[in-house]
Amino acid sequence: MDIFNSLMQGFATVLTPFNIWMAVIGCFFGTIVGILPGLGPSATIAMLIPLTFGMNATPAMIMMCAIYYGAMYGGSTTSILLNVPGESASVATTIDGYQMARQGRGGAALGISAIGSFVAGILGTIGLMLICVPLAKFALKFGPAEFFSLIVMGLLTIVYVGGKSISKSLMSGVIGMALGTIGIDVIQGAPRFVYDLPELMDGVSFITVVMGIFGIGEVLVSAEERMKITPIHVKFKDLWPTVAEVWQSKWAILRGTAIGFFMGALPGAGATISSFVAYAVEKGVAKNPERFGKGAIEGVAAPESANNACTSGAMVHLLALGIPGSGATAVMLGALMLYGLKPGPMMFHTNPDFVWALIASMFVGNVILIVMNLPMIPFFAMGLRIPYRYLYPGILLICMIGAYSLSSSIYDVWVMLVFGVIGYFMKKFDVPGAPMVIALILGPMLEYNLYRALALSRGDLTVFFTRPISATLLAIAAIMTILFSSKTIRVKRKMLEEVEE
Amino acid sequence: MKKGDITFSVIGLGLSLWLILESQKFDYASKFGIGPGFFPFWLGIILAAFSLFRFIISLKQKYDAEDLKPRLPGWGSLGRIGLIMLIMAGFALVMNGLGFILTVFLFVSIILFILEGDSILKSIFYGVMFSAAVFLVFRYWLEVDLPRGLLGI
Repeated sequence: MDIFNSLMQGFATVLTPFNIWMAVIGCFFGTIVGILPGLGPSATIAMLIPLTFGMNATPAMIMMCAIYYGAMYGGSTTSILLNVPGESASVATTIDGYQMARQGRGGAALGISAIGSFVAGILGTIGLMLICVPLAKFALKFGPAEFFSLIVMGLLTIVYVGGKSISKSLMSGVIGMALGTIGIDVIQGAPRFVYDLPELMDGVSFITVVMGIFGIGEVLVSAEERMKITPIHVKFKDLWPTVAEVWQSKWAILRGTAIGFFMGALPGAGATISSFVAYAVEKGVAKNPERFGKGAIEGVAAPESANNACTSGAMVHLLALGIPGSGATAVMLGALMLYGLKPGPMMFHTNPDFVWALIASMFVGNVILIVMNLPMIPFFAMGLRIPYRYLYPGILLICMIGAYSLSSSIYDVWVMLVFGVIGYFMKKFDVPGAPMVIALILGPMLEYNLYRALALSRGDLTVFFTRPISATLLAIAAIMTILFSSKTIRVKRKMLEEVEE
Repeated sequence: MKKGDITFSVIGLGLSLWLILESQKFDYASKFGIGPGFFPFWLGIILAAFSLFRFIISLKQKYDAEDLKPRLPGWGSLGRIGLIMLIMAGFALVMNGLGFILTVFLFVSIILFILEGDSILKSIFYGVMFSAAVFLVFRYWLEVDLPRGLLGI
């Protein structure tokens, strides 16, 4: 009953004209930027953070969540119409989505993707609501040792699934953590790796790194050759999938939702793996599996539902534990910190109005997204016809504005440009950027909790194994390490590699 | 990807060496446990281990089709990227003096004229359109604090 009352309170906060307007704008801009080839949700959210400057935390985060949903949906549009996934989570969608588009059913693919995303978004948010509260209550028992083990678990799993090569993901993660050590250290308060540059005292801004690696880096890769993209045309009358197609996809959507949510709720399992698992499950249970890869509508419905439900799953540990479960939630965590909020179990006690407004806004955001996007898909798709040479100066400008407005300083713009070049070479050498970004935000937390845990135990390292919750979390990390290194994941990784090629 | 992986692992080894050496400037332990040098030192060691592992694996790998293709693009494309970065660096240098809106105009016009080969009139037209859009959305609507510069807008 408590949950229901709190949710109603959340709706009371959200359902004001201004907050609804923020959600509408978030969905709109999220979809528009998410549609741009090569830009995934992490880059989209980071680039659009300046839109929320000057607002209170509640409307700002309502807008961020709406941007997240919009960006996820925008990403699937490019997967289906261009065969260019915005990020790895949309790769599974391209397999059948692009085939459907080639057969003149692009509108139906986009339609079922919107319907699947809507159902997954709503059911996922219900799941989030039910799990978050008990998890946050449980997490109140956590001390520094438990948080240290939790972060280790999150980092390991995130890194393992970050890209095609585990070792390169791990290296990317460690480099991210090393970047996180720049600035005033958490132990003695002394400057570390600042080299007499006062700007480095605050460390490397996480948002500028994201914009550099995912925004500028992506643009440089795309601009390297004069990008010519020819999207498949979508007609308004072909937009809706038939009733038979929706009915045919119902189990795919529900199975995809369940898989996506539970995999999203595991730190690091992520949208990519969940969308591939959902796709593989659908193919496995299908009466005619040979249709898959040739334009099967369930092949679009399942991964799209899975990656959207995963969004809600990923929000579970962001809100309840303060640990981001994906690149996009890491950016959201950064945004929350910009607003002076500290996600984690205490947030349910210190800022309950904010948390419940945010959860309520997810329901509202999903409704707005489907109401707005279904009829507007052909118009959004028309945006893809704008020549890339007019799009990329715009993307670069948004990044410049975003970086500058963080602290009204040119310094952040320079940092972003440097990371843009680094991001370009990382892309060229197939080094995933997400582990670096997540580790950059989790690294200082890891060090702080390690310091506190050891200080409380008087330097006794066994504290991580003797405290039951901490030991359990480390055991889970060890089991996940074994699982992620297993043959199944190697097969998935190979599959991802083949599809990307 | 053999060549690329070898390059990346060598970069990783270099970075790890730098981390280990630099971490020596800070205390490894403090009165209450670890010191500020502890974390960077171990990060350096871990990075060295992963880099070495990647290096050995890469050496054992066979050359694949990707190795036959150049990892970096041709000089023409690299020139384009270099120019984009140069124009962006120029943007950062002049934006406080000229003001953001005027810099946007120059940025877009130069990119379209020099890099994309649009006519001067077309480049100027798009430059004006982008500046107007940035002004309306960021300055007027969102009230983002951007440098005003010469024109004071």
